[in-house]
Amino acid sequence: MRHLLFALTILAALSLPAGAQVSTYYDLAKGDYPHDVAVGPTGEVWFAGQKAGIAGRLDPNTGKIERIALGKNAAPHGVIVGPDGAPWFTDGGQNAIVRVDPLSRDVKVWPLPPERMPYTNLNTAAFDGRGRIWFTGQNGIYGRLDPHTGDMTVWDAPKGRGPYGITATPTGDIWFVSLAGNYLANVELESGAATVYEPPTKEQGARRVWSDSKGRLWISEWNSGNVSVYDPAAKRWNQWKLPGASPRTYAVWVDPDDKIWLTDWGANAVVRFDPEKQTFASFPSDRPGANVRQLLGRKGEAWIAESGTERIRVIRYR
Amino acid sequence: MRAKRAGTTPGLAAALLVAALGTLLPSAGNAEGGNAARGERAFQRCFACHSIDPNEPAKLQGPNLSNIMGRPAAELPGFAYSQAMRTERAAGLVWDAATLDRYLADPESVVAGTAMSVPPVRDPQERADLVAFLARSGPYRP
Repeated sequence: MRHLLFALTILAALSLPAGAQVSTYYDLAKGDYPHDVAVGPTGEVWFAGQKAGIAGRLDPNTGKIERIALGKNAAPHGVIVGPDGAPWFTDGGQNAIVRVDPLSRDVKVWPLPPERMPYTNLNTAAFDGRGRIWFTGQNGIYGRLDPHTGDMTVWDAPKGRGPYGITATPTGDIWFVSLAGNYLANVELESGAATVYEPPTKEQGARRVWSDSKGRLWISEWNSGNVSVYDPAAKRWNQWKLPGASPRTYAVWVDPDDKIWLTDWGANAVVRFDPEKQTFASFPSDRPGANVRQLLGRKGEAWIAESGTERIRVIRYR
Repeated sequence: MRAKRAGTTPGLAAALLVAALGTLLPSAGNAEGGNAARGERAFQRCFACHSIDPNEPAKLQGPNLSNIMGRPAAELPGFAYSQAMRTERAAGLVWDAATLDRYLADPESVVAGTAMSVPPVRDPQERADLVAFLARSGPYRP
């Protein structure tokens, strides 16, 4: 019966008229606290169960949820799916980068060098075009791991604490933002040197960043309630205030059609921004206090981690 | 579990006790079974969002924690507290050794809907160390 319900939901989404959308919510175990979410190559959905210390895997077709323990003291913040199709976690509790094999479910852990800082508050990660994973630590570091050799390098971030979201452009360049430092930075892939770019709005609280298909960097600004964009080719900034009285822009993801998806704690909503029309569409949660810290998807699907209600939401759209 | 409230005799007594201890502690001493020196190291968990420097220039995501012992929740002017925290303030939540211990162990159980996303500090000794470190800056002075 449950399979039938999910099949009907997906069928309904597929039959949506252009411009329409439909939401589905998946309840998680109490205490899982999904912080980040990512979609795998076969449509499976991974989430970082921060407070339970688990990797979660949701099969949207059946609703089945697997929970994979990542290790003692694990507390994963971020999850992305790498070029190998596996979920990679930035695990603050273990102060380590963690990979779960998507077939065997084996867990491999790469701890950060402890002598530098025993707890870096690992945040998010992105793969460059050379198979290496880059990561941020909110206590004031960023780093790079080559999973094939195990080589890991950690650098002090400009202005100290604050490094938060990180993204790769289509050409494999790496950019990150600093929430407390209020900047966007580009890293040189071999030396690791970071070049800082200041958004036009002071103390904007650049929390997360995502690249569009042209390599433009879209930023969710927590303090200002803006979404901003930096075009490295044109060396030009632009920004827009989210709708509502007091927007707080937490997360950003750019879909394959270059539409900008954001989460707004002020409106308890997911918001889609169309850069061409410069219009916003708002999709509020059906419960208060969703506290969406991240969203990520694929064409036609925006997957959303509701940390406040401990649910995974998907918006299927056309 | 509800947080301990100001106005109840045990809660107030605990707050006053910890506040008094805060003024008497040596720089790396113990408070309520915690060790402030170890707590300073454990504070790295909190460092990204909180400062204990009363003159911290950075605009951080969490409120300043200097002189937090005995301070009512959502007390600092100019800080954008969550509605959840403001609700608990209205209900009388005061930060003391007991409430901080419970908040660090399970933030949601003390402030349902809190914006703080720090993973739970599961080790009671580590929580005690953190509380001892926070107490070192002295009690709250309105």
